[in-house]
Amino acid sequence: MSGETTPIPSGQSAFGDRYEVITSLPLPEFDSHGGDAFKAVDKKNKSADIFAMVHSPTVPIRNEFYNAFKSNPIVNMINPIDRGLMNIAINGNKQRLVTIFTRPTGGALMKEDGTLHPRLNAARLREGAVLAALKAFAALHKAGQTHRMVKPTRLYFASEKSDDIVIGECYSAPAGYKNPFALEPLELALADDAVRGPGDFPADYYQLGATLQCLHFGEKLWQGRNRTNLIMARINQGSYWALSGGRDIPGAIGTLIRGLMADELDERWGAEEVLDWFEGLSKNKRTGMASWSMNKPTNFMGVAYVDRRLLAHAFGKNPKDAAAYIKSLDFPSWVQTAFRDEIYSERLEYSLDVRPSEGYGGPRADDPKMVARVCAFLHPSGPLYYKGLALTLGGIPALFADCFARDDRETMTMLLELVDTKFITALVEITGDRNPKLQSQFSALASILEHGSSTQLGRGLERVLYELNPILPCASLRFRNVWIGSMLQMMRALDRLSSAGGGKNILLDRHVAAFCASHGTDMEREFNNLAAAQSNPARFNSLTAEFFGMLQTRLKVEALPHLTEKLVIGLTPAVRNLKNKKRREHVQAALEKLKKGGDISKLSTEINMSKVQALDAREFSQACNLVAKLDKEKARLSKKITPADAEARKKGFMGALMAAMVFFAMVSLMTFVKG
Amino acid sequence: MVKKSTLKKAVNPIKKPIYPRRRRRQSDSNIGGVLFIIGLVFLAFFKPEVAMLIALGILPTIVLGLTAKGTFKSERTISVGFANSAGVLVMIGDVWANGAAFERVIVSPNTWIIMWGAAGVGYALNYVGPMIAAMVMQGLSQDRIKSINQQKQELVELWGHEVLGKEEDKTPKVNLLKRPPTR
Repeated sequence: MSGETTPIPSGQSAFGDRYEVITSLPLPEFDSHGGDAFKAVDKKNKSADIFAMVHSPTVPIRNEFYNAFKSNPIVNMINPIDRGLMNIAINGNKQRLVTIFTRPTGGALMKEDGTLHPRLNAARLREGAVLAALKAFAALHKAGQTHRMVKPTRLYFASEKSDDIVIGECYSAPAGYKNPFALEPLELALADDAVRGPGDFPADYYQLGATLQCLHFGEKLWQGRNRTNLIMARINQGSYWALSGGRDIPGAIGTLIRGLMADELDERWGAEEVLDWFEGLSKNKRTGMASWSMNKPTNFMGVAYVDRRLLAHAFGKNPKDAAAYIKSLDFPSWVQTAFRDEIYSERLEYSLDVRPSEGYGGPRADDPKMVARVCAFLHPSGPLYYKGLALTLGGIPALFADCFARDDRETMTMLLELVDTKFITALVEITGDRNPKLQSQFSALASILEHGSSTQLGRGLERVLYELNPILPCASLRFRNVWIGSMLQMMRALDRLSSAGGGKNILLDRHVAAFCASHGTDMEREFNNLAAAQSNPARFNSLTAEFFGMLQTRLKVEALPHLTEKLVIGLTPAVRNLKNKKRREHVQAALEKLKKGGDISKLSTEINMSKVQALDAREFSQACNLVAKLDKEKARLSKKITPADAEARKKGFMGALMAAMVFFAMVSLMTFVKG
Repeated sequence: MVKKSTLKKAVNPIKKPIYPRRRRRQSDSNIGGVLFIIGLVFLAFFKPEVAMLIALGILPTIVLGLTAKGTFKSERTISVGFANSAGVLVMIGDVWANGAAFERVIVSPNTWIIMWGAAGVGYALNYVGPMIAAMVMQGLSQDRIKSINQQKQELVELWGHEVLGKEEDKTPKVNLLKRPPTR
């Protein structure tokens, strides 16, 4: 398999030459789920405080963030300076995407072990941290971005002596990706940790509140907490009390944190309230739970649920039991009893489509979707529950990447089942204006997820992965040591792979095909042709050569001699299968000539194997027909001809007639001449 | 009320095969014969001896025209007719010039040998013609077979033995549809 692993480039890129990443000096306080941080040196500006983030190839980065803020850095936030591919020696030499960030040198406000920075005090927390976050949020939200990675361990003093505080970067992993449950606002926290989505601006303020609370108590409040119990506590008591464990925070900072950690979106503090708080005009909003309470508790799996969000979560996480339970209920009566404020219209009943168990009451194919519909009814602004998954549609790209990293095809198949217009229409009807983004988010996803069920080359789950996460590098095992972020990089990597003896039938690698189909434009026709030729190696290889030739021309790539050679070798069966000996020799000679040149496009312009194959097949068929015709004629001619044969008789009698006529003419002539 | 045709069908459900109606072919020799008789009658008004000599001399042809069966009847009759006519033509000169010579000519055995012998030549030509034709055709076929073999050889040289349709396709059938391992 070593031949099938792409070697890393021999030299460093220009980026790699400029920055030196010191892998022996890791900076774990800047690590994220998307990569590891190391000390770095800018060779052009050695005094600059920077660190390098070596990105993980399985976690998509927030590219839009880099594009928006690279040239417009945000104050009080760690900003990206530059990024590029670099050869890094971590567990062997690898080519990885590295981003250079500004480095705050004052240290994290809270270390990973939970100890607070010695310089942190109430005043610095109240003014420095809040003000820093407020400034950063203002810039981010103005650009339409959310941070969603605010954690007590990701707030830093700007320098050893400065009181300025900066918040950590949010670019190296998807928003809210695998954040601790406690640090996520309730509307997103109920979703699974890899699929919470970008969320809204209030989510950042909640995270700030939770962070301040942790810093105030000097504890990682999420550590050692059971998720189920914490959900119960957060819903029943409110996130502020649940996280603090019943401890109140007196004074102004307590008011701020309570406001920021409000679970109801319309009660949660935003920039305006925080500014008011700075000016001493704080409005102490009280959180209320009344809107989510049911009029009558519902017993499910031995637990009495009063809050409909908790019931939705319990149903969603136990879909089989929930389906059996829902089917056993007289659903309309249950709704009218438990939700007296809810108008249970005929339309809603039709959308929910809850059918009681009939006969033996076994599971039905629609059960998971029925449970999802009931969950959406119970918690319209909450996550979408399906087959035990709790997800937001905005988080599906990150979930897909996570599933591929874990090779969890079961979950991905479940996600594809969501592409059901009837089901989504029902969900939109049920949630109504309480989840207004659902329809638009689904429309954006549906056309991409449709690729997933196809087994065709260039489509399938791999295509969905790259369509949803265009920034993700090609995840083919062949490229495990290199970073393939664009078609150009792929072409060059394939040349190196070919030089190492690998790359045979490269387009049959579903990741490579899907990556090309996703990153290329107007390639559907090429991939349809390739898919049609999958069972014919000779034709497939010639189409592969044409495909790479087209890419080389389109991308204006330099000569790729090794890839060309590999493709020419790949064409050998196609050449061998040519029936016409002269054509075979001619094509072979032309291929040998092109082999070392490195210009793949010439394979199609000067030879065009597909056309040659088609012409050869057509002429061979004509030759076969001619042979059959000749054989038939030969068989006919090989028969012994006797005077009794009709043809012989006809010709014989005609000959006799002619002879008699000549005889008559001669006698006539002689008679008249004599006379 | 049941239709008669329906009843017929019910009684005799098996349809009789429909054979194409045989058309009697109008033989060319018939037309020729009629024209010949008209000409002969016309000639009898001016030269009755000549007409008589022709009628007697051409007798083998007339007999053949009336008795011949099978295919190529007209060709056979015409060839005998030409040969026979040549024999008659030789004898007709004297009688045409001098009608009184008819009796002398008619009793002479040479006259009959010449006229009917010529008809015999026509018969002989009809007998030998197909034989010669068969021999010639056989020879031509052999030449054509040689040419076909050469043409096939050229095709084999260009396309290989596969063009003869005898060689099996030795290309290995590879299942490329198998999904490769994913990470």
